[in-house]
Amino acid sequence: MTQPSSATSELKADAKQSVIGEVSRRQIRKRLQSLFGLALVLIIALIASPHSPRGGLIFLEAGNITDVLRQVSEIGIISLGMTFVILTGGIDLSVGTVLALASSIVALVLTRVAFGVASGVAITAAIAISLAAATFVGFTNGWIIARLRIQPFIVTLATMIGVRGLARWLTSNTNIDIGFGADLASIFSRVFSTKTMVIGSYVLLSVVLAAVLAKTIFGRYVRAVGDNEKAARYAGLPISKTKITVYTMTGLLAGCAGVLHAAQNHQGNPNSGVAYELEAIAAVVIGGTSLAGGSGSIWGTVVGTLIIGVLTNILRLNNVDSNVEMMIKAGIILGAVWIQRAGKEAS
Amino acid sequence: MKTRLMALVAALTVCLSACHSGSSAAKKYFVAFSQCNNAEPYRAAQNQLMDKLFKDKGDVQLVIADAQQDNSKQIAQIETFIRQKPDLLIVAPNERAPLTDVMGRAMAAGIPVICLERDITQDNYTTFIGADNLSIGKMAGQFIVDSLTRKNGKPRGKIVEMRGLLGVEAEMERYNGAHDVLKAYPEIKVVHEAVADWLQDNARARMLEVLRAQPEVDVVYGHNDPMAVGAYLAARELGREKQIQFIGVDGLGGPAGGIKKVMDGVLVSTFYYPLCVDKAVEVGEQILHDPSFHPDKKYILQPKLITAENANEMYGKLTF
Repeated sequence: MTQPSSATSELKADAKQSVIGEVSRRQIRKRLQSLFGLALVLIIALIASPHSPRGGLIFLEAGNITDVLRQVSEIGIISLGMTFVILTGGIDLSVGTVLALASSIVALVLTRVAFGVASGVAITAAIAISLAAATFVGFTNGWIIARLRIQPFIVTLATMIGVRGLARWLTSNTNIDIGFGADLASIFSRVFSTKTMVIGSYVLLSVVLAAVLAKTIFGRYVRAVGDNEKAARYAGLPISKTKITVYTMTGLLAGCAGVLHAAQNHQGNPNSGVAYELEAIAAVVIGGTSLAGGSGSIWGTVVGTLIIGVLTNILRLNNVDSNVEMMIKAGIILGAVWIQRAGKEAS
Repeated sequence: MKTRLMALVAALTVCLSACHSGSSAAKKYFVAFSQCNNAEPYRAAQNQLMDKLFKDKGDVQLVIADAQQDNSKQIAQIETFIRQKPDLLIVAPNERAPLTDVMGRAMAAGIPVICLERDITQDNYTTFIGADNLSIGKMAGQFIVDSLTRKNGKPRGKIVEMRGLLGVEAEMERYNGAHDVLKAYPEIKVVHEAVADWLQDNARARMLEVLRAQPEVDVVYGHNDPMAVGAYLAARELGREKQIQFIGVDGLGGPAGGIKKVMDGVLVSTFYYPLCVDKAVEVGEQILHDPSFHPDKKYILQPKLITAENANEMYGKLTF
């Protein structure tokens, strides 16, 4: 029953792709659409920003803008990976606990292990160990989803619970504090909590992953798997490999966020990262990526992350009650998706 | 699409303008309070009291931000406050190390900072106002010794402890303080230590298990009132609440607080852990009005035993 219809849709897709001009025009329109949302929020921010005693807008102060960018960086980095996962039609609920695991491990290694080598090497090693652990969790997710064919929601729900347990077990459920002295952990915290490092990491990863998704064959596989897995299978695409790679990458990215989290918070905390997966999913969805898979972009996700970040900032600058803040955010998520659907219906 | 957009823009504008007008009351001083977690009853009581006391003074616009037990969120909120340059910043840190740096930045920006209840790793504050959990633990330990002596003729009996979230400082100090006292009495035995993460429902579940295993329990020491109440509920379910004395900590006012539970006879005692807010408002007002005023670096407030004898009086004082 479904085979003929999927075949015709493939034919249609072919026909569409032959009209390259139309496709790229639509892409541009789509980009403008998500940018439009950001522009809207920025305009609101400019109107609603309180004035500083010296007269300027507080929102536009360089310090404030970089505050916002730094504040969104952790969720931003996680949501890059989440974009790939959702593009394949999957979901990853374990990213928040992977962040906690990575932050705990990097702090544990730095405070408990005597390296006896130059501090640069030791810090690199500690980060590498924590990223390796995060990557391994991601690989496990991907392997189970692709090889054992269990639904991503269930697999990552299980790892979410298990990894939280692992992080607590490793740390005996205590926070591993990082001081302000001249020891290894303190140096790590000082270097990796600077705005340049945090924002720089986010920008760099965004640019690289946007290129990977838009310009590489792997990126095309990711979309194809999410768009129509059956068709992709008949076309002989490496579905399992693509899925495993995507989840592994997401684990690694959550690990990166975890390392930055430990540095910025001066501690490895096995209980942090609660509900981060939901914030990341929200950013991806606001950015126009469909939860059904197949369509979306890194570009959109970055815009979605910024929309949430700017909005949060402007609400706080106006001292809006945090409970009201949550209600307004709920409205934004629904509103953004509603507008995008309108855009799709029109095209 | 256009109509949908227009609808959204209109809704947002209404929302924001409503928010805007709400916060534009012209007061002389702007005081920002960064609270670590409104969801805890102790924290909610702090907020209520601070709101009331500053309102009474009449010259302060108070803004309370709730960090929802999230260090990153609290750091972000304080960063935003620094941009707004309040006349006074009060911080109840979620945890020590993560908040130390950002409070230092507030100090560097010339904002007076009061650190409330939980100390940080460096003295990045104008003044610290806190209370002493270790002495609460010791008072609780001594109270247990005294009441067991009254009940059994000598310091002898079986204790069950309901512990808060492990690794948290308040939990460790309330635990260590009591054990410092109890270890001198070999006939007093802690027969079970259950971890209930400060929560009433967890404590009830743990206590049901404990009561199945322990035929004899004299005292339950809950590291906070809700856990002591949860243990009481479990004992009542099994008809054993009359044989056990329940002791809590926190002693909050109001109908849901521990003092009311003492008045109701659920708890034999609780220990008032100071909200620290009255002192903070007193010192804060001095900082606001008198630029030459230099507060002490630290104020440590003393806990207070609450039993049936003084519960009524304390309830009146601590209910806002």
